[in-house]
Amino acid sequence: MAETILNVKQLQKEYTGEITYKALKGIDFHLDENEFVAVMGPSGSGKTTFLNCISTIDRPTNGFITINSKSPYELNDEELAKFRRTELGFVFQDFNLVHTLTIEENILLPLALDSVNEKEMRRRLAEIANFLGIREILKKRTFEISGGQKQRVAIARAVIHEPSLLLADEPTGNLDSKSVNSVMTLFESINKTFNTAILMVTHDAYVASFAQRVIFIKDGVLYNEIHRGENKQQFYQEIMDTLTFLGGGRHEL
Amino acid sequence: MSFNHIVIQNILRDKWTYISYFLSSVFSILVFFLFSVTAFHPMLKEMDTNSTLGITMILASFIVYIFSFVFIIYSLFAFLKKKTKSLGIFMITGASMKQVRKMVFRENMLIAGVAIITAIALGLIIAPLFLMVAKKVLQANSFGMYVPMQAIVLTVVLFSILFFIVSKFMTRFINKEEAVHLLKADVTQEKSIAPTPWKLILSLFVSSCLVLSLKVNMGWIESMGMIYYVALFISLLLVIYFIVTQGILLAILLLQKNPSYFQKTNMLFVSNLKTKGRSHAHVIYLLTILLLGVFVCTSVLYSSYYNVKENTEALYPYSYQYISLPKNTLEDEQKDITFIETTLSKAGNYDAYYSEFKTDEKRRIAFMSVSNYNSLGLQRDISLKKNEYYVVAGNEGVLPSTETIHEYLLTELHYAGLEKQNIFSTGLQNVYYIVPDAVYETINYPVYKVFAYELENWTEKIDVAKTLASGLSTDTDVHLIASKIELYNAEKFVKSIMFFIGFMLSLIFLSAAMSILYFYLQTSLEGEKKKYAGIQKIGLSVKEIASVVTKELAILIFIPFTFASMILFITMFGMHHYISMTFYQMTAIGVGVFLLLFVISFYFIRWGYLNKLVK
Repeated sequence: MAETILNVKQLQKEYTGEITYKALKGIDFHLDENEFVAVMGPSGSGKTTFLNCISTIDRPTNGFITINSKSPYELNDEELAKFRRTELGFVFQDFNLVHTLTIEENILLPLALDSVNEKEMRRRLAEIANFLGIREILKKRTFEISGGQKQRVAIARAVIHEPSLLLADEPTGNLDSKSVNSVMTLFESINKTFNTAILMVTHDAYVASFAQRVIFIKDGVLYNEIHRGENKQQFYQEIMDTLTFLGGGRHEL
Repeated sequence: MSFNHIVIQNILRDKWTYISYFLSSVFSILVFFLFSVTAFHPMLKEMDTNSTLGITMILASFIVYIFSFVFIIYSLFAFLKKKTKSLGIFMITGASMKQVRKMVFRENMLIAGVAIITAIALGLIIAPLFLMVAKKVLQANSFGMYVPMQAIVLTVVLFSILFFIVSKFMTRFINKEEAVHLLKADVTQEKSIAPTPWKLILSLFVSSCLVLSLKVNMGWIESMGMIYYVALFISLLLVIYFIVTQGILLAILLLQKNPSYFQKTNMLFVSNLKTKGRSHAHVIYLLTILLLGVFVCTSVLYSSYYNVKENTEALYPYSYQYISLPKNTLEDEQKDITFIETTLSKAGNYDAYYSEFKTDEKRRIAFMSVSNYNSLGLQRDISLKKNEYYVVAGNEGVLPSTETIHEYLLTELHYAGLEKQNIFSTGLQNVYYIVPDAVYETINYPVYKVFAYELENWTEKIDVAKTLASGLSTDTDVHLIASKIELYNAEKFVKSIMFFIGFMLSLIFLSAAMSILYFYLQTSLEGEKKKYAGIQKIGLSVKEIASVVTKELAILIFIPFTFASMILFITMFGMHHYISMTFYQMTAIGVGVFLLLFVISFYFIRWGYLNKLVK
């Protein structure tokens, strides 16, 4: 039995404003180590809210979350920041790179914040840069490289501190189809090589088919869950069928 | 939807972009208005425009106007920069360059109009309060409120012209390519500081040449006149500029080389500094210059105010000095002295000194016996051997000739010493030679009798001085009268106004420095907010953001302060022959007060900025 990395119980999130809106209405979910799970659902279904709650960017209204048996919501701001940069890795749709830093510095940022010694930093940087094939661009600035390269850099930054859980929010949303392929292959190999658990939100069935398991959220509740068998093509078809049934996503490829 | 409708909606719906521009315009106009309310005050009408005070006043209003001009241009530049992106949207939707310019021009004129009206309205509210302060400082009771029509008209006319020219001219600077480019890319790389060691060395060399030649008093400075001082001023400005930019560049390089670069938030801090190095350097430079202005205004003018008593005493050593000339009859002299002494005794305790000297009236060279000199009371007593003489200055700040005495005496006397301070009112005689009593008897020149009085608490006895002045004839053929009390009062008034002007100018420079800083932080706030929100997601605590921001703000605020005070003290040290201890004290106190002010505003700015940044 594999160990559980992420455990979510009865997760609820309400947005109070002029109209109170329930984005999540009680979700139970758990993620084992080295699992790669994609979260899908139509727009407004609450999938990004779900990810934000897990990534500690949003605070849930009800329910509880443990990551590596730790509950991040009991931490204060400073402990939370520390928790984020040691336990979690983030990949965003808009890359979220710091433009004042060089590529190399961007990747090293989580380590620098933790004052890891420089020799160790260099070792990990070399390893990760080789793995992701971004050695040539290390000295460049963020606006000098392409979108696909930016996402590779963001991935490098997300995994350099060897997190137990990698969270990705529409990581391919801003990329062309060729880059999508290479970035997704990377996710797959990171999952296999480093045994990192990955939770990824996407609306693209092709992207989701790289995962081992896909969960579907609709109107704030867990709707369905399908597992990948031997055949990736067949898995993709199953995802497409579920999406068609949910309404939306059919035209997406 | 008419064109003017767009103009008005642009302003109303984007208040925050416009508000800082509007406020700094109001501020500039307000300062000028208050200044002209003082300058046009009926009471100051009596002031001679050719006097030092009149010239200072005119010069100060000129500086204020020039300053407002530069400041408004600066604000407009900052404003246009903030606005460029939204102008790009207009351009891309098909507005012609002409239309965009027309729009910006109208927006500006609208803001200018409102700013002028607001400033004057505000000025009329503040003016009575302001004049009350002026009244207190100037100790002039007639300095009440009046209807400042002239000031209103002048302010409206001058600033309307200024805004018209500035807006018309500045719209030429709207760059189409830049605006459209900004639309496409969020992040454009700012040019980094170029290393220019040669320019730094050259400017240092030129300035030190100019300063050195001033120090050794080269002849050619006289012939150059104004041009020399303008050249010196410009070269010093350039030196400061290059020192600031190159210094920051060097600091960045050193910080990057530092092994702790990859530790904690250092990387964020240094890279921030590096990417914004150029604009940081410019702001630091502007603040340094403005602060220097503040320091110079305060220390020079405050300390001149502070030294009035000492300066007056140097010029006119006695509370009352009556010199009876040979033409004066003994009878009149007796009458005058009785009048003086009875008037003085009514006013309080006084010391009286009687003395006399003989003088060559044509060359105004005086001789005095040792016993007469010693009876003056205010100086150290001296004793002379039979063949010695002593020299005493006649004019304040001018060293007397020590040798002219030999043209008068038959016996050979030897020089024994020199008193640099004039003993009687400055300019009465050119020099006093103190000779042994026996030698004095042999000198055959007209005798001037001296009656000198020193009153207790003389600075407060202006009434006595007035009574004495009205009770004695002003016939300069029979007696000469000098009173430090009257001089002190006249001087004090002039110095009060100078103090007031200095205070105003330093206030203006200081607020300008603060609003430049405010503008700068405002413009960069959006970008910073986005950046820190991004880094926060991957695990940067608020505390760590605060530490980076604190360091950055400290650089922007305290480097100009330290640099400006360093320049001030170096200059003062270079001039230590010309300035007194009190000057150092005053300056140190002044700088200390500003430091306190800066520390307080630093915490205030930091608090406000952080609040906006991580909200």
